[in-house]
Amino acid sequence: MTVYKYFIKMALRNKWLILSNTLLFFFFAIINTSGHIQEEMSFIETKLNIGIIDNSNSPLSNSLKDYLESKNNIIDVSPEEEIIREQIFLQIVDAVVVIPEEFEEKVVSKEKVIEVYRDDRKAESIQIEHQIEKFLLFANATHEEGKFDLNAIKSALSEKVNVNMIRDGSRGIDKGTNEWFRYYFNFTAYVTIACYISVIGLVMADFNEYNIENRRKISSKRFLRFNKELYLGQLSLAGIITFIFILGSIIIKGKYIREINFNIYLVNTIVFSFSILCLTFLINNITRNKFVTNCLSVVLSLGTSFISGVMVPQQFLGDKVLTLAKFFPTYYFVRINDMQTSSLLGVKNDIFMQLLFGLAFLLVGLYLSKTAQEV
Amino acid sequence: MVVKVKNLVKRYKEIIALDHFNMEVDEGEVLGLLGPNGCGKTTAINCILSLLSFDKGEIEVFGKKMSPDAYDIKRQIGLVPQEVSVFGNLTVRENIDYFCGLYIYDKNLRRRFVDEAIEFVDLKDYVKFYPKKLSGGLKRRLNIACGIVHKPKLIFLDEPTVAVDAQSRNFILNGIKQLNEEGSTIIYTTHYLEEAEMLCKRIIIMDNGKDLVSGTKEELKAMITTSEKIIVSFSEIRDETVSEMKKLPHVIDIEKDGDDYMIKFENGFNNLTNLLEFIKEKELTYTKLHSQLPTLNDVFLELTGKELRD
Ligand SMILES: Nc1ncnc2c1ncn2[C@@H]1O[C@H](COP(=O)(O)OP(=O)(O)O)[C@@H](O)[C@H]1O
Ligand SMILES: [Mg+2]
Repeated sequence: MTVYKYFIKMALRNKWLILSNTLLFFFFAIINTSGHIQEEMSFIETKLNIGIIDNSNSPLSNSLKDYLESKNNIIDVSPEEEIIREQIFLQIVDAVVVIPEEFEEKVVSKEKVIEVYRDDRKAESIQIEHQIEKFLLFANATHEEGKFDLNAIKSALSEKVNVNMIRDGSRGIDKGTNEWFRYYFNFTAYVTIACYISVIGLVMADFNEYNIENRRKISSKRFLRFNKELYLGQLSLAGIITFIFILGSIIIKGKYIREINFNIYLVNTIVFSFSILCLTFLINNITRNKFVTNCLSVVLSLGTSFISGVMVPQQFLGDKVLTLAKFFPTYYFVRINDMQTSSLLGVKNDIFMQLLFGLAFLLVGLYLSKTAQEV
Repeated sequence: MVVKVKNLVKRYKEIIALDHFNMEVDEGEVLGLLGPNGCGKTTAINCILSLLSFDKGEIEVFGKKMSPDAYDIKRQIGLVPQEVSVFGNLTVRENIDYFCGLYIYDKNLRRRFVDEAIEFVDLKDYVKFYPKKLSGGLKRRLNIACGIVHKPKLIFLDEPTVAVDAQSRNFILNGIKQLNEEGSTIIYTTHYLEEAEMLCKRIIIMDNGKDLVSGTKEELKAMITTSEKIIVSFSEIRDETVSEMKKLPHVIDIEKDGDDYMIKFENGFNNLTNLLEFIKEKELTYTKLHSQLPTLNDVFLELTGKELRD
């Protein structure tokens, strides 16, 4: 087990790398405990100034108008597109919602029905789209025998809020705690990617260095056994780092873990850690250059964390960005944390996606390592 | 026979690095592979050790065909590569221990072997040092320790003294002699004549990927026509006299270098007496005169038409 032993030894010699990442992480985690989240919450609740142009004037469109009115301030706007854009530009309104003719039929056939002009400069304006989506979701759900059950929609929309309030109230935790765990675990994504790629990558680059690799090749150590020890080392290192993060959350907010869906965070973090380990394996088979490895570590950790909603919540990111993010496991990891659900079944798809990515990374990595050996 | 290489051909695209190279190594000997930079020494070793594939030829080690998964053969082999090949992130002791661990799984045995290797290269005072803190000579010694720590029966040393100070070089050469006395067969590559001459029982001279000749140094020197060189400095001598001197018995050639004349003789009796009589007869005055036996450089020169020295 000398290979295993020295793998771990050399990995821990990069402690400044691990430490600086982890310390930075905990620094943010602790800062996050105060203030920040409350702000986030309150701006989610902001009432926006919106205009509604109803070309349908149907019971369903009126119901939607009522709902939006309950959440926002309604402002009169002209139906002309140019004027709408100008008013948004001048910040007279934050968003304008255009309901088309034949609204009800279009809802049934699930076309993209409602046009929303909104102020991209104002991140909160996205909430209008969420509100509309939510309304349409319920509308479709109540559609039966060619009719919408407007009362059911209404009560569903308001009940949801009530349920939330009751739940929060009865459990006696503020939303902030939930949010804290969400931020904490979301942010582990960034540190996990940065640490795995850089630390494991750097040590593997040492083991794979041409001359040192040659010494291994002429030795009587079997290649399979050598590799087993290296991968065991990587797994152990990943285990240690994941364990530190989980332990960290327990140390900082341990008394709340019974009140949140800690199991989901746990499973999610472990699955994500696995998929990133597979990614590291792939990268180690693509490049042995320490500089490239370091660059990849920075680019992938920062880049994917950003587009996947670690720094800025997913709801504030544009569609294009999110579509891009779907090509990386971080997106699914963050999505699970953001769901704040208690059922493992509810997150199984996103868990599955992460495992799928892990598997894909592994297979491509294996393929590359096979072809590299043949040369 | 410990190593047998027959008609080995290795190409790197258009470069032919080994061109029907042959080599045989007997158990217990120190074999020198002598040749200029780029003649294919490292390539030959890498092929023998299955680090490189080759185009043609046969390689046997310990009587068996060598292959990448001939683990029982590999157990007996040690390599000290041309480049210092150690982990920058491990200390001297850890490096030696790691490479020993690729062969020796028993902890106690390994500890003993590592201690002995450290003793052998005399790095006791540096066990906790990282390689980058070591001088060039000490790095080379660490490189050697990593290659021989598992006590192999057959050791390849690829130019282990390049860029090493004189003191470390002597230390290394004596160490290699010691390894050989303890029973290891040594294959030593170098482009330094003196080292080959001093260390090796048998020498193979290589050039352009070919083995030109092999034999003990005496055998090699006996192979060439020049057997004696006499260098004389004349204060004054006419060209005709030099031409006459060329006609003396056994003289092959005369080379002029300033006032110095190097007169090359082939094997024969009374070469010096004949020359001295000629000098007396012509009433020449000379300031110095000395005789030289041929060196491996002369052997190389005669075989290839070029000098071996850098
Ligand atoms: N990886 C390589 N690719 C292409 N040519 C190489 C490579 N390695 C060595 N050579 C060439 O093969 C020849 C023999 O090199 P080498 O075995 O290193 O010589 P030596 O060890 O005697 O100095 C040289 O001409 C060298 O340029
Ligand atoms: Mg060489």
